[in-house]
Amino acid sequence: MKEKRKLTLTQKRGLKGYLFILPWFIGFAIFYVRSLIMTVEFSFAKLTVSPGAGGYSLEGKGLENYLYAFRAHGSFKQTLTSSVGNMLIDVPLILFFSLFMALLLNQKFRGRGIVRAIFFLPVILNSDALKAAISLSEAMMNGGIATQAAEVSGAASSVLAFDLDYLINMFVNFGLPVKVLSYVTAAVGRINDIISASGVQIIIFIAALQSIPSSMYEVARIEGATAYETFWKVTLPLVMPHVITNMVYTIVDHFSRSDVVELAYSTAFTEFNYGLSAVFSIISTVVTLLILALLVRAIQKNTFYYN
Amino acid sequence: MKAIKLFRVKREKRLNRSMAGNTLLFLLMIACGLAMILPLVMVVNNCLKPLDELFQYPPKIFVRNPTLENFSDLFRLMNDSWVPFSRYILNTILITGGGMLGHVIIASLAAYPLAKHRFPGKDTLFRMVVLSMMFSWTVTQIPQYVIISWLHINNTYMALILPACSFGMGLYLMKQFMEQLPDSLMESARLDGANEWQVFWQIVMPNVKPAWLTLAIFQFQQMWGNTGSTFLRDEELKPLQYALFQISAGGAARAGAAAAVTFIIAAVPITFFLICQKNVLETMTTSGIKE
Repeated sequence: MKEKRKLTLTQKRGLKGYLFILPWFIGFAIFYVRSLIMTVEFSFAKLTVSPGAGGYSLEGKGLENYLYAFRAHGSFKQTLTSSVGNMLIDVPLILFFSLFMALLLNQKFRGRGIVRAIFFLPVILNSDALKAAISLSEAMMNGGIATQAAEVSGAASSVLAFDLDYLINMFVNFGLPVKVLSYVTAAVGRINDIISASGVQIIIFIAALQSIPSSMYEVARIEGATAYETFWKVTLPLVMPHVITNMVYTIVDHFSRSDVVELAYSTAFTEFNYGLSAVFSIISTVVTLLILALLVRAIQKNTFYYN
Repeated sequence: MKAIKLFRVKREKRLNRSMAGNTLLFLLMIACGLAMILPLVMVVNNCLKPLDELFQYPPKIFVRNPTLENFSDLFRLMNDSWVPFSRYILNTILITGGGMLGHVIIASLAAYPLAKHRFPGKDTLFRMVVLSMMFSWTVTQIPQYVIISWLHINNTYMALILPACSFGMGLYLMKQFMEQLPDSLMESARLDGANEWQVFWQIVMPNVKPAWLTLAIFQFQQMWGNTGSTFLRDEELKPLQYALFQISAGGAARAGAAAAVTFIIAAVPITFFLICQKNVLETMTTSGIKE
């Protein structure tokens, strides 16, 4: 009688899963997949915006944009390599710094909420709205702050430059590899960038630390583990999956602020060369994705999952 | 034997955090914290400065004669605006609130099966999400605009809310946190007769509260910074940000009002953050299961 194929329990659950995903997926397909496809189309064509009801026309050009980007464009290749290089320097530093800060901020002390808010400030202050507002009020004060800041940083750099050269020479004489040294100096030069780019990461790590069951720590304490051992045997393994989360977030965030994106943006909206700009963003996305895939694979091997 | 014991004691003492270590960490945190809070200190002090102090050269960080004149200036300018000012506030609440709630709920709903169910196409879908996050959306303004016009939601709130709802970041974040939940927690709820919907709302969501509160903070921040100038044309639909910028862009005479505007734009997300963070702390003490 019953011709209907019986579904197993997990299959039924899977079908319900589709229902849960559906609202998100519809929006995703309409807004993001479609504009991704359109961008790919643009990259193979020359786009002219025609006045009227949001109209544009495409003129097929094949691979011409791609060839131009690699062979003829003045700064694309350098910008791409320098952006990727910066990313490789910054991402591990941001991750270490934010994990370290999250561990500190996760402890109990008075005024913890306020301190956490302070470390989240850069994220708030980095928003476009606020940056515009601050720069507006600065501009209105006849650039007083800007000139003074320039004077101070000029003076500081002349003092620092002397010290840095001396220190670098000393370390080179000690036989430290120059590559390590240049990484360290580059990192020191960016402390401000790193601190201000790690607000969201600190929050994610705090949430991750909060979701470690307290029974784990209790067991560790009963077994007589020191704080050091507890960190390496309990905290770090349980936080490890979120290191990947944070790494992905950091790379995305870093990339969206990188010079390549800026180049693509200016190509599109000041030179009005939409095809070329689409090529820039597609190539840089592919490159970052490759890096991301390699890094995630490397970390995932050493990650412990609860289930 | 005794020597070994002595050694152990010594080692423990070194590895547990000492007073000096605590002080060092505290100093480090103060140093980092100061660097971060300085712009905010400037914003707060600027909004309390009378005009002559705002234009003082070289500028001072701290205010000498604090006054609320800037705010009364701002409110007077608000009353002069073409559309009643409460309308801008309502717009902002609708756009920020709608975008935030929609994003958190829809992304969490989609993240649950991706984290805890098995079905065909799961990995492909997840790869697509990661791909979408990597793409630089600032460059895709033209396709976005074409799509918004195609849906005929141009010049409505939906033009800002709907794309925000289905962005990949929230899904990714929620999935990573839900994966950490023990399967046995959900299994026991199912054995007690809960359907998937109930499992989601009553078991999964309360247990990942830190995650979705984090997401809410994040999304609030994103939506709050949105002036909506690309998609909203009618003055009655524009958010508070836009109105405040219009006021503060009025030249040197409005420097005071502009300082007050900066303060308001910064203060709201910080307040929201403080409220959410407090809740993150309160919930997590009770979670965890016994095996």
